[in-house]
Amino acid sequence: MAGVAWHYVLKFIITGDAAVGKSSLLIRLTDQRFLANPDPTLGVEFGSKLITIPEENKVVKLQCWDTAGTESFRSITRSYYRGAAGCLLVYDVTSRQSFVNARSWLADVREHADPHLTCILVGNKIDLCTDDASSTSSAPKRKREVTTEEAELWAKEEGLLFVEASAKSGANVEAAFEQATRDILEKVRRGVFDDDRSPGVKLSKPSSGLALEDQTRSGCC
Amino acid sequence: MEFLSQINIALRGPTGQPQSAADTISRLADRLSPSTLLADRRAAVLALKGLARDCKADVAELALPGLIDVLQNDAEVDADIGKAVLETLITLCEVEENAPAASRELGYKNTDTVLAEEKVPQKLFTLLADHSFYLRYSALQFLSTLLQNRRQVVQAYFLKAPVGVTSLIALLEDKREIIRNEAIFTIQSLITQSPEIQKIMAFEGAFEKLFNIIVNEQGLEGGVVVQDALTCIDGLLRFNQSNQSYFRGSALPPVLLSLVGFPPSLPFNTPTPQQFALQLWDVPQKRANVSLAVGIIGLLARHAGPPDGLSIACTRCLTELGLSSNAPTHIKTQALRLVPSNLSALPLAEMIVTPYMPVPDSNGEEWDRLEPSSALDALVELILHGEYHAIIDGERRTKDGMELRGAALGIFQNFVQKEEISEAIVQAMISQPGSQAPVTPLLYALTTVPVSPLNFSSVTSTHFATLLFAHLLRYSPRAKALARSIIPQAGAASNQNSGAFFVPADGGPPPAGGAADAAEADEDEPQTLLQILSEHLSLAFLARAREDIPAREAREWDRLCVGYLCLLIQWLWEDPAAVREFLEAGALGVLVEPINQTAEEDAMIPGLCAFLLGVCYEFNREPGEVTRAIIYPILTRLGIDMLSGRIIHLRDDDRFKAVGPDSIVVPAPSSHAPTHHPHQGPPSVGVPQQDVEEGEIWFDWAFVDFWKSNYYTIQKAIVVDPNSVSSAAGQENAMLVASLRDVIRNQAAEIERLQSQLKTLSTASSEQEALRAQIASLTEQLQSSEERKRDVEKEQEDLLVLLDELNSKRRRDKERMRQAGLEVSEDEAEDDGDEDEEEEE
Ligand SMILES: Nc1nc2c(ncn2[C@@H]2O[C@H](COP(=O)(O)OP(=O)(O)OP(=O)(O)O)[C@@H](O)[C@H]2O)c(=O)[nH]1
Ligand SMILES: [Mg+2]
Repeated sequence: MAGVAWHYVLKFIITGDAAVGKSSLLIRLTDQRFLANPDPTLGVEFGSKLITIPEENKVVKLQCWDTAGTESFRSITRSYYRGAAGCLLVYDVTSRQSFVNARSWLADVREHADPHLTCILVGNKIDLCTDDASSTSSAPKRKREVTTEEAELWAKEEGLLFVEASAKSGANVEAAFEQATRDILEKVRRGVFDDDRSPGVKLSKPSSGLALEDQTRSGCC
Repeated sequence: MEFLSQINIALRGPTGQPQSAADTISRLADRLSPSTLLADRRAAVLALKGLARDCKADVAELALPGLIDVLQNDAEVDADIGKAVLETLITLCEVEENAPAASRELGYKNTDTVLAEEKVPQKLFTLLADHSFYLRYSALQFLSTLLQNRRQVVQAYFLKAPVGVTSLIALLEDKREIIRNEAIFTIQSLITQSPEIQKIMAFEGAFEKLFNIIVNEQGLEGGVVVQDALTCIDGLLRFNQSNQSYFRGSALPPVLLSLVGFPPSLPFNTPTPQQFALQLWDVPQKRANVSLAVGIIGLLARHAGPPDGLSIACTRCLTELGLSSNAPTHIKTQALRLVPSNLSALPLAEMIVTPYMPVPDSNGEEWDRLEPSSALDALVELILHGEYHAIIDGERRTKDGMELRGAALGIFQNFVQKEEISEAIVQAMISQPGSQAPVTPLLYALTTVPVSPLNFSSVTSTHFATLLFAHLLRYSPRAKALARSIIPQAGAASNQNSGAFFVPADGGPPPAGGAADAAEADEDEPQTLLQILSEHLSLAFLARAREDIPAREAREWDRLCVGYLCLLIQWLWEDPAAVREFLEAGALGVLVEPINQTAEEDAMIPGLCAFLLGVCYEFNREPGEVTRAIIYPILTRLGIDMLSGRIIHLRDDDRFKAVGPDSIVVPAPSSHAPTHHPHQGPPSVGVPQQDVEEGEIWFDWAFVDFWKSNYYTIQKAIVVDPNSVSSAAGQENAMLVASLRDVIRNQAAEIERLQSQLKTLSTASSEQEALRAQIASLTEQLQSSEERKRDVEKEQEDLLVLLDELNSKRRRDKERMRQAGLEVSEDEAEDDGDEDEEEEE
């Protein structure tokens, strides 16, 4: 409970089709766990994590809002786009449809979010299709339906960062968030976000309006 | 209808005849059409606004659609017309609580019309961001009205329109207080029962903005706006896990703790500062604000999983507030009730607190700091002797004061839930050979000899002591066994009247009074605690049977009886050794008399006696003087049905019925008989205490719960003949539970053993793994070298074949050369070749 333990607070949203593993990515990030049968998200769930970006010598608090992929929640989840600084746009590398739908998710993000938002395309579940001999025994293999090259190309066209990851093995999960965070910090440095305009980025000032030191308290003796 | 006639004059047609209200309104409604001039529309709206209150139905029926259109088209263009139309709509939709049903119906109906389509709410969300103060304010008010009437519909629109929440939250930073405050108020109803909207609010920074408001409004010393903001914060958190985890992880919890004066990162062994413990509480608004803040701190103290820094800090803050501050009594009670029942975050015995005492007659302005003591001691002191040692309340049992002691009792109960702890506490009361155990305040209060005329404070202490002691024993056979060997120091427990009034907070007993030998202390042999209790029970029965004591005192004797009986019931339950000792102390005679009392309208004490008698019969399983065979005829002579009836009737007693898990204090009968204050003058601290509500305690929930689960067992047990081994389902259950416990304990041990095995195995298996890998790589090496060998062999073979071919060729060539008459050398090679050939064949 010491004073301010971080330099920046960044708001992230995680979007994409239902069941692509958005919640699983967040749980991997915050709890280092993987659940085989998580409940589908209803509305939105919150999770947070402190990460360090060594080159910048900065501690960053990630506030992540994990949204539901189910269509019926779409209007609710849109409320979260506007205030976010970063977005993980997730698809499932073994589901072509989820990759196709990523376009419409991106369109949604573009329509509602801050134009400076950093978006990283995350192809999840690569554990299902790596040719690693050691993983043959676990989980039935599923066919990859989206190649790395194709996704990379699309990401480039759209100006998105890109990474393939697995919430199950943990591969690239932190890296995905870190990569996006670096990009945002870079934008901060370039002055793209100025503090009061973008609600997604907050600089922690130890002596912000919330400090109470100067409060005078009435003693009784 | 002055106004109507004025308008009529204005609207009077060329013919000049007067019009009905409906006609007027109809004509005004026509003028709302977009085809008229803006100025005309504005005039029409203003006129309708004036009529709306008195002719609500007509205006609604004839003009509502037109008004909605004006809102839609003109409000943003012309702030005046916007404000007027909003105010008119508010009037049409308003539902006044005390209005006649028809009028209220109309308000709801109009609200439904307004909300039928999304365009009105959408427009309102837009207007919230309008730069005109009046538009903003009226839009906010209208929104608030709509929310009041049809909350869920409005909430649904909010969820569809992301801008709604954003612009509403932005109003929290509005420079104009009136708008900001209205926004807080609107948010309060907007977030009600909608976790989704609550989460969006958190996302949009509502917590931070609300805290900013609080801090800038002088914190908890601030006005009603602080109260509203805290109510909002509470609403965003209370039933919302996601928001709680957001909030916990934010920078705000330390701010919240600082607001109540608690240093957020205070090391555990550092005492809290005096500014926290002693504050000014005169302003009622501050009490309301602090109470809300304490509620939120209570939310943060509860935390699934192992306690973290925040939940520990919050738990400590609550405990300190309850035990060692000058906060108002009801806030202390609230704080103690919020201390999490899982107390692993709070080592009560090691935690040091510094209690304070008001200086008499200083009107709450001067305080004495007492010696630091362990929180556990302070807690027990509070339970036994009341807030500030009752120097304010005296013998009066204020409802607030009793609630506070009850809340503290709840913490004690949770704390001793662990058997090791309850055992250790009981163990400390037992003298070891050669040394006397100190008489703890608990034991002292428990064994105080009741003497007529009773000192009511002392009765309360003794009663609370029975409750505390019952918590120590209730479910612990080992604690019960230990308790049997408690032999309180002779003479320690004299009448409190003769002891010092004030027991220092370090927990030491007051000096023993000289009049130790009460009436029946004739035998020399020191008595056990159990014997003392049964003796005091008998004393109390004798005293209450006297004709000449005043009703109020009789009540206090009853209370003592109830305390002793409840404790004994729970102690003797499943403890045959204790039953024997109790019976041998002459208990039968003591119990039978009150049961046998006829025409007693009060069912409480006979019911408890019957129950205890049943317990004594059922668990009388050790050989002794008073056998089951001796008791049984007494049961039948009293009448089994009568006993059974007595037991069951306790359930109907109001004092018993009123007890709930969180409410053990019942209102005291409104006897305003003047109470005597033997020790000090009138109340001297804080607000003058005229007519404070009084309250009293008879039972606690733990006993009620115990009784409800076990009375049936006893009802059955008293029917069974003395020779049957065991009848009661309860005992079977108990045995079952005991054996299951054993099973669990064994299984736990087994699991532990297996786990450690697993650990060694897994290290072994990792070695195995390494070996296997080594084998694999060796096999691989072997394979490849074999392959290489095979390759080499093949090559060699090929070479031999080649050589062979060469040889035969050479032979053929030589032959041909010889035939050609050329000289041919006879070299060894040929022989070799021949030999080779021979080998090959
Ligand atoms: N093999 C594998 N399975 C995964 C991975 N990530 C998620 N899953 C599984 O995919 C399913 C869906 O995961 P969720 O995290 O609930 O998906 P979601 O995107 O949050 O879904 P919604 O909340 O409904 O939008 C679960 O059964 C997960 O166990 C992964 O990296 N590898
Ligand atoms: Mg999910």
